Amino acid sequence: MTPTTLLWTILIPAIAAALLALVPKGVKFVREIIALIAGGVSLYLGFALFAVKNLEWRLPWLGGGVDFELRLFHFSSFILLGLAGFLVLIAVYSTVKMKDHPHVRSYYALVFLSAALANGAVLSDNFVPLVFFWEGLLVTLYGLIAIGRKGANKTALKAFVISGFCDFCLILGIGILWAKTGTLTISKISVHPQGILAAAFILTMIGAIGKAGAMPFHTWIPDAAIDAPVTFMAFMPAAFEKLLGIYLLGRLTLDVFKIEKGSGLSILMMTIGALTIVLAVMMALIQKDFKRLLSYHAVSQVGYMILGIGTGVPIGIAGGLFHMINHAMYKCGLFLSAGSVEHRTGTTELKKLGGLAREMPLTAVGFSVCALAISGVWPLNGFVSKEMIFHGAIESGYTIFAIAAWVGAIFTFASFLKAGHSVFFGKKNEERPTVKENSLALFVPILILALLCITFGVFNKMPLTQFIQPILVGHVEAGESIDFTGHALSLFNPIAGISIACLLLALGLHAYGWKRGGKKAYLASEPIHKAPVLKTLYDWAEKRFFDLYEQGVIFIQALSLVLFKGIDRPIDFVFEKAVTSVGSAMSGVLRKAHTGRYATYLAWCLGGLLVIAAVLSVLTKS
Amino acid sequence: MIFLYIGLPLIVAALLPLIGRASKKLLPDVLGNGVFLFLLVYGLTGAKSLIGGGPVVQSLDWFGETVALKVAVDGFSLFMLAVIALVSLCVGLYSISYMEHYGSKANYYALLLMMVAGMNGLVLVTDLFQIYLFLEVAAIASYALVAFGLEHDELEAAFKYLMLSVVASAAILVSIAILFGMTGSLGFSGVAEGLRALNAPGVVAICAALFLLGFGLKAALIPFHAWLPDAHPSAPAPISAILSGLLIKVSGVYAMTRIFFHVFGLTPALSQVLMWMGAISIVLAAFLAVGQKDMKRMLAYSSISQVGYVVLGIGIGTPLGIAGGLFHLLNHAVAKGLLFLNSGSIQQATGTRNLDEMGGLAKRMPITAATNLIGSLSISGVPPLGGFWSKLLIIIALVQSHEMLLAVIAVLASVLTLWYYLIIQRQAFFGRLNERWAAVKEAPFWMSAASVILALICLGLGIVFSAVITSWIQPAADGLAKGMGM
Repeated sequence: MTPTTLLWTILIPAIAAALLALVPKGVKFVREIIALIAGGVSLYLGFALFAVKNLEWRLPWLGGGVDFELRLFHFSSFILLGLAGFLVLIAVYSTVKMKDHPHVRSYYALVFLSAALANGAVLSDNFVPLVFFWEGLLVTLYGLIAIGRKGANKTALKAFVISGFCDFCLILGIGILWAKTGTLTISKISVHPQGILAAAFILTMIGAIGKAGAMPFHTWIPDAAIDAPVTFMAFMPAAFEKLLGIYLLGRLTLDVFKIEKGSGLSILMMTIGALTIVLAVMMALIQKDFKRLLSYHAVSQVGYMILGIGTGVPIGIAGGLFHMINHAMYKCGLFLSAGSVEHRTGTTELKKLGGLAREMPLTAVGFSVCALAISGVWPLNGFVSKEMIFHGAIESGYTIFAIAAWVGAIFTFASFLKAGHSVFFGKKNEERPTVKENSLALFVPILILALLCITFGVFNKMPLTQFIQPILVGHVEAGESIDFTGHALSLFNPIAGISIACLLLALGLHAYGWKRGGKKAYLASEPIHKAPVLKTLYDWAEKRFFDLYEQGVIFIQALSLVLFKGIDRPIDFVFEKAVTSVGSAMSGVLRKAHTGRYATYLAWCLGGLLVIAAVLSVLTKS
Repeated sequence: MIFLYIGLPLIVAALLPLIGRASKKLLPDVLGNGVFLFLLVYGLTGAKSLIGGGPVVQSLDWFGETVALKVAVDGFSLFMLAVIALVSLCVGLYSISYMEHYGSKANYYALLLMMVAGMNGLVLVTDLFQIYLFLEVAAIASYALVAFGLEHDELEAAFKYLMLSVVASAAILVSIAILFGMTGSLGFSGVAEGLRALNAPGVVAICAALFLLGFGLKAALIPFHAWLPDAHPSAPAPISAILSGLLIKVSGVYAMTRIFFHVFGLTPALSQVLMWMGAISIVLAAFLAVGQKDMKRMLAYSSISQVGYVVLGIGIGTPLGIAGGLFHLLNHAVAKGLLFLNSGSIQQATGTRNLDEMGGLAKRMPITAATNLIGSLSISGVPPLGGFWSKLLIIIALVQSHEMLLAVIAVLASVLTLWYYLIIQRQAFFGRLNERWAAVKEAPFWMSAASVILALICLGLGIVFSAVITSWIQPAADGLAKGMGM
């Protein structure tokens, strides 16, 4: 493994993307084979580089600190491996799911281009190439949403504008950092976020959490869940964007800025995290569509990661990072199972489904494991990482954030009980045609992810010691332990007790709602939906009152209308009407004077002579 | 060898009708354009070094006896000679194709050469009566050229042109007679000395007014302009180009400027009158141009307006103002020549001059459309073309002499200019192709070549404007400011 191998991790998916863009639409198998080979090679490189750990490659470029620098170290090699893993799973799944998609050519090309750009972003050790790759992902994001169903380009634009705003903040923050530290090499920067540097941190943090999809930069994700291909949802918002956004957030909080426990910025991050958890999960709870429900959870879970990292406590940070990889696994699996349901039944509306477990048992198993994992049920991976985050939140000294996280846990489980109950269990909806289990390529990726969820939970020592804990080496105070495996699955401590109580409460809520809704599972959330104050808030949310993008669009439209009517039209009137009509009138009068009668013209000449003679005489004499 | 400028075209003009019997097309083309090319090359190379040490005065000898014909070259006259040669060469090249079916080429070139000889003579002479003499030579050739097609319209236009030109000649002659009577001299310096000795500003004012009527008519300044929109559009396109591009400037602006600067001296009163006549011409003619439907008539009104800029610039009397005015004279000669040639190409291709009937011609006549766009933008004063710099110089000079009102007028009027040139672009070249012109073809080679040369000069004048100003405009302005010393 020479340093140039780092380049290949970027170039191989990029070359694959170029090839995939060239394969004509009608050709069979070639596309899928290229995708699988490229994915396989990427995964191999991921493992190989994870074993190598330390590589650096740099190419002097523009000078002035703007160089092409790639750096492989533990954290980036871990993310690189994760990205490659998800790429392979998505590639396998897409071979069947996306086979007949009208834009299959652009889809594959964009997926692999995204992979190339993501690898580049992870490896960049200089902010300029980082921003280059980061912005490139903006383009593929737009493209992948836009190839969805009709009208998806509007959602694509929304995603583009929101992510573009976050990226703009990122660039701004980088600019401040550059001005203050004089370098753009990420690994050389280590500052205390004070004064203007605090602003730099907030700006770069917005770039990171915006990519991960935290509130209030999340609003495109539920829209994309409906409009974009479901594989895109499993690929980008569920997996890639979480890994990238949280990776950058981790780099920012661990390396670039020194965020201290209990500092204002730490509280800010925890607040964002807690709000994201609670608000997004409340929205998820009442959703009537499987994919839309999942998409709100993709937002809500980011809150746990930000909260964990924001605690500034080693166990919290480790929990946040562990949650990142766990979440990517089960959320990817959940979206893929939603895709499988959609593939067979043609719908993802909860009330039209039901009882699928008998017809699609493997998908149901995969879904159930992932759903229990995301809900934090013992002994799955979600339980481990959430426990670590609860511990971190308590340790940070602000119990309120731990309480928010527990509230999130209640409704997460409640909404997955509702989703699972409506889709896979309960009674079969008579209007729904009877279906068969999907083919191998569709359920195997889901089962692999479910298996990983179990492994990372039951055998959590392996991922924690292999992946997570080494990230923290050198970032904790001397002598502080970074071994968090001790009480990972421990049930007999107060925190685990509260968590389990939360799950039981959720079970109760679901049962109550189910009974009240006439034993219809998809109505199980209605008691909460229709609760006095909440109902109004939900109505407002459904009307997108809280969607900053939609409100911004309304504001800008109003502003442009005001400017158009108030400023543009009057100016236009002056030029269009006043000037032209005065000009034409002048022209008309003058033209009427030119009759073609030469006697008149001669009279003008003589009159002119008299006037000039008079004027000259007067002027000369005076 | 300065006499060549007058003698060579005259001799060739005399011979051409005879040669024309032997060779109807080839020899007249070659001889006519050969003379123009020679004069241009000589003006750009040889003559430049001639005046290196200051103005040169030569007189004609006939076997040792001095004939009373003196010619003098300074920076100003050399500049004018070069402009005349340049535009007439392009017009001559254009005529090779355009005059193919327009009557006798030999006669046409003979008249054209006579007009050029008249203009050259006017630029070179040093005495008032000789100015009148060459003014008439050029004018008479131009009457014949306007009428060259011998159609009803053309004859009528030539006659109208003649009628008002005669008034101009009469006014000039009267003024010359008064000055001769008062000073007993006709030479510029003699008259100037005599007037200084007499100290009679009132009479000078009357003479100046008469000259302003006479030369103002020739230059078509408002209110003496009314003949031009009838005369110029009726002539064959190359003649329109040379009338608008050269004749009104040489027989109007040049003669007026020479006399006012070197005989009367530019008094503040004269300066004010010149500037205001210029400004009024700019604005009113621009408004008149906006309302025209006939492309050539619009261009003719535009000529009145642009000559207004030249007079406005020269009338300021400061070195910068004179330089701006002269540079605009050059830019306008090139661009307006180009635009009239374009109008001829369109008229020959479509048979109409009415803008409403055109439309989308850019698709059929790309070279004409492109060169026309360049010419239009240059006259309208769009950077980086030549017209922008000359208008800028004039406006800066106005601001420097605290003529704010005139400066504002000059700026706003250039918007009007852009307006009517955009009308031409939109009506004639852009938009949907009128089906009537589906079969129209691009102009023949020589016509296109002449347009392209002029368009490139428009571009070049804008790009290397500072070199043009230092090597040509500044010596000319200096020559004007210094006086001739003859």
